[in-house]
Amino acid sequence: MATLLSAAAAIVAGLVVAAILLLVLIFRSMWRIAEPNEALIISGRAHRPRGDGHGLGFKIATGGGTLVMPGISAVRRLSLDLRETDLEIDCVTHQGIPLRVRGVVIYKVGDDLVSIANAARRFLDQQDQMDQRVHNLFAGHLRAIIGNMTVEEMIRDREKLTQLTREHAGTEMEKLGLIVDSLQIQEILDPTGYIKNLALPHQSAVEREARIARAVADREATEREQEAEAQKALARRDSEIRQAGYQAEVDQASALARQAGPLSDATARQKVVVEETRIAELEAERTEKLLLVQVRKPADARAYEQVTLARASREAHIHEAEARAREIELSAQADANRVKLSAAAQAERVKLEGEAEAHASQAKGRAEGEAIRARGTADADTIKARAEALAGHQEAIIGQQLAEHWPQIVEAAAKPFGDIDQLIVLNGAQGISDTLAQALSQGIAGLHLARKLLGEPAGAAPLASPNGSGGLDSTVREDEKV
Amino acid sequence: MVRHVVEQEMVGRVGRVTGRITPGHLGEVMIAVRGGSEAFNAYGSDPDETIGKGTRVVVVEYFPPRTVVVSPV
Repeated sequence: MATLLSAAAAIVAGLVVAAILLLVLIFRSMWRIAEPNEALIISGRAHRPRGDGHGLGFKIATGGGTLVMPGISAVRRLSLDLRETDLEIDCVTHQGIPLRVRGVVIYKVGDDLVSIANAARRFLDQQDQMDQRVHNLFAGHLRAIIGNMTVEEMIRDREKLTQLTREHAGTEMEKLGLIVDSLQIQEILDPTGYIKNLALPHQSAVEREARIARAVADREATEREQEAEAQKALARRDSEIRQAGYQAEVDQASALARQAGPLSDATARQKVVVEETRIAELEAERTEKLLLVQVRKPADARAYEQVTLARASREAHIHEAEARAREIELSAQADANRVKLSAAAQAERVKLEGEAEAHASQAKGRAEGEAIRARGTADADTIKARAEALAGHQEAIIGQQLAEHWPQIVEAAAKPFGDIDQLIVLNGAQGISDTLAQALSQGIAGLHLARKLLGEPAGAAPLASPNGSGGLDSTVREDEKV
Repeated sequence: MVRHVVEQEMVGRVGRVTGRITPGHLGEVMIAVRGGSEAFNAYGSDPDETIGKGTRVVVVEYFPPRTVVVSPV
């Protein structure tokens, strides 16, 4: 009985446990949990429209769990995860520069119920195609966005990119229940090289700075190197100089050492030589003394003898000469007396002759003087008389004078012919007579001229030269004329 | 019922401008909501007003799903 009861209790307990397990399992199958990154879309049960009657028609569950009646309601899950779509488009910037832009857009289903509802209506069965849709949508938007920007803004101005993305795509994405979290431009391909050119000035400047810096550094390094080289050379030189100095000292010392032997030899020999010299000197002295005794003394004696003899003989000669000179002197004196006497006699004679002659000459001179004076007086009278006559008969006198000197004049005129060795006359004998006639006519012309000249001084000239010198003058003048 | 609550909750919330709001252009504000913070497209309540980045704003109107009208605090 007891065993029967315990068996029944065990059965009841088993049933209760089984019933509990069944309840748990049923509840598990009806309870749905929404993960944080998803929304549950529950449809099927009559969700009554609220208020105005425009209800959703389905239930959205986010976070936590909800009870679903199997067979009555259907549960679908909508992922709220972040999604991304790659974009690659060819477009043109605000400045008209063609670019190829690669970007990525990051979006998700909005967390609020309206967004979830919008998305659920559009994408619930096409969640895997959502990327494609967004890609198509955003290609157009991105093209428009880039069309409103310059390349520089694309590179630098993120704010503007975000702003434009929001303006162009925000509203449209709202319709789809999506939120654009971010639009990133990953790469700009620039077939025209615009961006590279944009960078070029700065790049060149930097490159220039780099080159300058390198050159300066190189120069400084070279300078330092050269300085170091110079210092090394200096040190080497100093060292070599010092080495040479030491070497010289060593050489000197070794040379001294080498010469020490010969030097001591030489010193010793020198001493020997000195001694030998001394010996030689002594010997010479001895010889000298010997010679003095043997040669000089006898020689002196001989010399004295000869000198004495010579002196005696000279005395004798002097006396002899004196005697001879006295003799000559005396005879000369005698001669002189004789000559003096004869000269005196002769002088007396000459004196007497001279005096006689002088007397004669004096008498002769006096007589001549008398004669000349008498003649002069006569001449003076003549000239005086002629001068008187000249006052009236000048012409006659000139003529007379000319007549007196005519032969001389002609001679003078012919003188040029006389100087000529050979006279060649071209027209024969007539030529000669012509020439002579010419000469004579020149003489005659001269005569006329002379006469004229003599006439001009009004008789003064003939008076000034009474002895006919005036005539001679005129001849000379004729001569000059010829 | 839930949506109602959200709408009620949005108006009066204070947020921060993350994208400049200029006249005629859409800005962006970050508003703490549903235990996190979300970005909403934003217009200024004064159409001629410019609201700079970082300005604290208050939501005066909510257009579901993601547009708000804000005014500087």
